[in-house]
Amino acid sequence: MIAARELTKTYTFHQQRAGLGGALRSLVRRNYETRLAVDRIGFEIGRGEVVGLLGPNGAGKTTTLKMLSGLLYPTSGELAVLGHRPSERKHDYLRRIALVMGQKSMLWWDVPAMESLLLHKEMYGLSTAEFERNVDELAELLDVRELLDVQVRKTSLGERMKLELMAALVHGPEILFLDEPTIGLDVVAKARVRSFLAEVNKLRGTTILITSHDMDDIEALCSRVMIIDHGRLQFDGALDELVRTARPRKLVRATYAAPLGDGVLAGVEGVSGVEVDGLTVRLEVDRDRAGDVLGALTRLGPLVDLDVADADVEDIMRDLFERRGEPS
Amino acid sequence: MNTLTRNLRVLRRMTAAEIAQQSIYRGSWVIFMLANIFVPVTSLLIWRTALAHGARLPVDERYVTTYFVLLGFVTMATSSWAAGFIASDIRLGTLSSWMVRPASLLLGFVANNLSEKLLKLIALVPMIGIVWWLFRESMVVPAGFGRWALFAVAVLLGAVLVFTIDILIAALAFWLDDVSALVQARVIIASVLSGAVVPLALMPSWSRGFVEFQPFRFTVSFPVEIVAGRLSGAELLLGFGLQLGYVVLAGVLARVVWAAGLRAYSAVGA
Repeated sequence: MIAARELTKTYTFHQQRAGLGGALRSLVRRNYETRLAVDRIGFEIGRGEVVGLLGPNGAGKTTTLKMLSGLLYPTSGELAVLGHRPSERKHDYLRRIALVMGQKSMLWWDVPAMESLLLHKEMYGLSTAEFERNVDELAELLDVRELLDVQVRKTSLGERMKLELMAALVHGPEILFLDEPTIGLDVVAKARVRSFLAEVNKLRGTTILITSHDMDDIEALCSRVMIIDHGRLQFDGALDELVRTARPRKLVRATYAAPLGDGVLAGVEGVSGVEVDGLTVRLEVDRDRAGDVLGALTRLGPLVDLDVADADVEDIMRDLFERRGEPS
Repeated sequence: MNTLTRNLRVLRRMTAAEIAQQSIYRGSWVIFMLANIFVPVTSLLIWRTALAHGARLPVDERYVTTYFVLLGFVTMATSSWAAGFIASDIRLGTLSSWMVRPASLLLGFVANNLSEKLLKLIALVPMIGIVWWLFRESMVVPAGFGRWALFAVAVLLGAVLVFTIDILIAALAFWLDDVSALVQARVIIASVLSGAVVPLALMPSWSRGFVEFQPFRFTVSFPVEIVAGRLSGAELLLGFGLQLGYVVLAGVLARVVWAAGLRAYSAVGA
């Protein structure tokens, strides 16, 4: 469905020093620089996949998304989406995709959202029956029926994002590109958007490619993540594989009815980072030793609570991005 | 559904939405149009005074009166303000949200142009009607439908020409940080060479050849000349040929520059 090979994008821009002197100097002489935004990346995405595109600011993920959606011409490399070269922006291609940008609206602000939906009906050549069926279904899923006749500028940020998603999906695209769709939303609105996207993927089989700095978005939606940094694809695989690779140890927290003595779990193989805080013990354990260690924990004393978890994805990403430039 | 039909249906929907949005500001259209008609009416009074005091001009009072009465309508009907907005959309990356949808990128600007003109006409036509009635003794009113039909075609082609020149200038924003100086230069040059300030018939005789063949004449002066002047059949034919030629030339240039510009588009912003 999506295939990229050696995909590269460079930008050329001129640099200008601050102040009047810099401005005057730039009148007669300009320094042009070329920046490599995406550097020979390659991947394939199949029908119905939900893929998270992750990376720090300026890593190249939004540039990649813009090339996939046809906004940018690649500098070199090959890119095929739904059998098309996106940059040609053929009608048959554009009617099968949708792009939602968290910080750019596709709705008219001064009129109700229904006006924008009717515009999409004409743009995508939808029959009245098809249009009404899709509007009904999406309005139900997003719970926005009463907002369709309200001026867009009068809606809240969360409501607007739901209407943006509705406008993007009313023609039933096969691929949905999402650039920071939950940016600025409160926790309730975020959860609603996530569950809606999961439902769309399940019901319609829509392929979703999403960039987000919110790891909860990624954990809730993506079975696969691609990490881009310095324009290079650093990781491409399942989210739990990323967790296993980056943080191969499980986090364990055990709470007891009575205080434990010193030297808890000393000498137990595969255990590290043991911290005792009153009645609670925190530690990290190798995955293949987890069973033995849990058994040892039950024998330490009267156990009240036990929690075993993978490392937080947020922490993993922070570690990865702090080590920018080092290939994983 | 073919591309043309689909784009026309999208244009109809966009124009309806634009009218709905812009009709909120109905008071501003009246003020806009009062300002629009103020300059031609002032010019009319000045030139009529000059003629009354014996000024020797290559045109008579009836030509001058008809010219300035029609001028407000034609300058409004052929005007375009899209360049600044298109350039801003390119520079700020807001063009992106239209680029991922299957319709011409310029439809929104065409719809904005058409809807504003429709609303302006509603305010302007009664004002022109009053001025016409006040100077009715000096107006040239061509007999029959023919000249008015040619006038309508010339206004339409003039509007297309101005809009296309605007797109051409705006498309340079794909490479330049700021095209506002070019937009302003176009407005100033066009206001003189189109005949919007002074009728081209009053230009110095040594400039006559250049003035008659340059493109801006066909955006304002030529349609007015069809009604106010006494253009012969041959002059009409030559005029329409040149006007159509400029429309095609500007259209081809705009298309080539726009297509090249899209390749250079950087889609700034998230």
